[in-house]
Amino acid sequence: MSSLNIPTDFGPDSGGRVKGLTIVKPIVYGNIARSFGKKREEDGHTHQWTVYVKPYYNEDMSAYVKKVHFKLHESYANPNRIVTKPPYEVTETGWGEFEVVIKIYFHDPIERPVTLYHILKLFQSPVVEPESSLSLADSKKGLVSEAYEEIVFQEPTQLMQHYLTNVQPITSGPWKHDTDFEKKKVRTLQNIVEVKGKIKSEIVVLKDKLKLARETIEKFKNELAKVQKVPVP
Amino acid sequence: MTADVRDILELERPVTPEITKESFLNTKTRKFERVKTTKRPEGMHREVFALLYNDNKDAPPILPTDTALGIGSGYKQAKARLGMKKVRRWEWAPFSNPARNDGAIFHHWKRVSDDSREYPFAKFNKQLNIPAYTLNEYNTHLRTNPTKWSKAQTDHLFDLAKRFDLRFIIMADRWDRANYGIKTVEDLKERYYEVLGILTKLKGSGDKKIYVFDSDHERRRKEQLKKLFDRTPKQVEEEFMLLNEFKKIEARKKERERKTQDLQKLISQADQQGEHNFNASTSRKQEKKLYKKKIQSQPRPSKVDSVVNAVESAGIKFSDLRGSGVSLRSQKMKLPANIGQKKAKALEQTIQEFKVDPAPPPTEEISNVFNELRSDMVLLCELRTALATCLFELESLKHQYEAICIGKTLNIPAPLAMKEEGTKTLESIIDVVGSPHMSGV
Repeated sequence: MSSLNIPTDFGPDSGGRVKGLTIVKPIVYGNIARSFGKKREEDGHTHQWTVYVKPYYNEDMSAYVKKVHFKLHESYANPNRIVTKPPYEVTETGWGEFEVVIKIYFHDPIERPVTLYHILKLFQSPVVEPESSLSLADSKKGLVSEAYEEIVFQEPTQLMQHYLTNVQPITSGPWKHDTDFEKKKVRTLQNIVEVKGKIKSEIVVLKDKLKLARETIEKFKNELAKVQKVPVP
Repeated sequence: MTADVRDILELERPVTPEITKESFLNTKTRKFERVKTTKRPEGMHREVFALLYNDNKDAPPILPTDTALGIGSGYKQAKARLGMKKVRRWEWAPFSNPARNDGAIFHHWKRVSDDSREYPFAKFNKQLNIPAYTLNEYNTHLRTNPTKWSKAQTDHLFDLAKRFDLRFIIMADRWDRANYGIKTVEDLKERYYEVLGILTKLKGSGDKKIYVFDSDHERRRKEQLKKLFDRTPKQVEEEFMLLNEFKKIEARKKERERKTQDLQKLISQADQQGEHNFNASTSRKQEKKLYKKKIQSQPRPSKVDSVVNAVESAGIKFSDLRGSGVSLRSQKMKLPANIGQKKAKALEQTIQEFKVDPAPPPTEEISNVFNELRSDMVLLCELRTALATCLFELESLKHQYEAICIGKTLNIPAPLAMKEEGTKTLESIIDVVGSPHMSGV
């Protein structure tokens, strides 16, 4: 990193935070998995999988990410895997699904690391929902389970701002993901807005009904009171 | 154990050590331990040693044994080995109880060594100090109510008090009804403590508190107890039943009050939220919005608004994650911790019902809209519950009415008679909204 030739002086407020600035870095994290097709004799493993964190856009995250810490299931030989440069991924074999804890550390130690939780997926869910973040890619790739996330840097330090804004592309070729998140975003947003409209109208109806119900209750109560006051002969 | 009993009875311990089971066992174990310590090798722990050896250096028995040859053979031996001390003598001796003044002589067993001691139970005979009065005192101070208590009656009372040590129940039993008329326990107590109070005052020992006997209270208390005792099983059962009913009624009343309050809160919230939403409009649905606004502007019953104006939002207040630092966008969509489990569950079900992705890709726009959506969903759930409560109440009122006026009924307005608002299409909702100039109310 030192070779990047960062100016060391950030003015009188060196290390201070940049007020009013928010930088957002979208990422994709998850895993791909491929079945052996049979149980391996030596250890009973059935799948090879890769858990990863990658930038959503074509950029080199190492500009601002110091390291990524993948915490695997404790049954693995050394469950704490630390990756310091891209690609941020861990490839392993196994037979079971578990939660991987992914912790992303940044170059400026003042900025606290963020933690992601990913359930390692090896087996296709029996019911495939269209809205689910899962997508079954072609058979060569195997199973893909990945999610979209945004890292939000609120008022980053000046040093961090420098790192965040000086990012190089990671590849000169096209940068694509297995899941079409743009389409998914649009669809999800549409769906939510639509449902919200439905709910709003239902709330209006319910309110009116509730009002009517309350008034009717009052009316009934009055009627009942009248009847009850009639002396019994 | 015996020592404790002796302490309780405040008896002195005998000089000669008694031969008890303990002392017998103690001497034996002491001897046994001495044998063991001599045999134990240097540096070996006692516990380890104890595992290797037992008292006879035999292997521990695998089965419990009761043969004479066995290790714990004590009780099988023909000759009981009791203590080495000489047996102390007991004798059948006469004694007199100092509590008695007739000097009667009785006999009992006692130790020869205890010869000189006086009868130990004599001290339990406590003498009460029953005050006395002179004729003069009586005439000047004690003639408080001559029709009720004559001098002769009072004398008889104090005589009995002395004889029976103020055991009023017995005194009342031995009261000479033939000569002195009928008196109850309360009468006796009342007169006794009255006289006692006056005498204490006369003798001027002011520091002593005078006991006042509340005879009325005591009579009433006994009367009540008698009544309670005299109840028939049927009455007891009825009372129990009534109490239970009362409890039920109270609980129901509370529940109803609580629900009404919730309802009022909700309605005022819904109003406010509604107005807010229509002001901050979404650009599409312009016509619909205008239309709804018309409905919205209809006057609402003011009493509802006035009752609860304090807004404790029925929706969800998501934290807005202000401040600097790094965070994940999805954190914004996390349910706040103050959402109860029940609410969260209802929300989850509603999300399923409307087929929304429970974890959408967290862009800023989506997370905002998604949060608003879930806030509305919570309100929706609450409104649904509230309406169900109202409908239930309506039904129950209707049934009450029908039970009183046979043949007559109350009509629940048509919109409320409809079921399952969740499955309705948008069109039918608009239809209902379209006819809100409800004249039926």
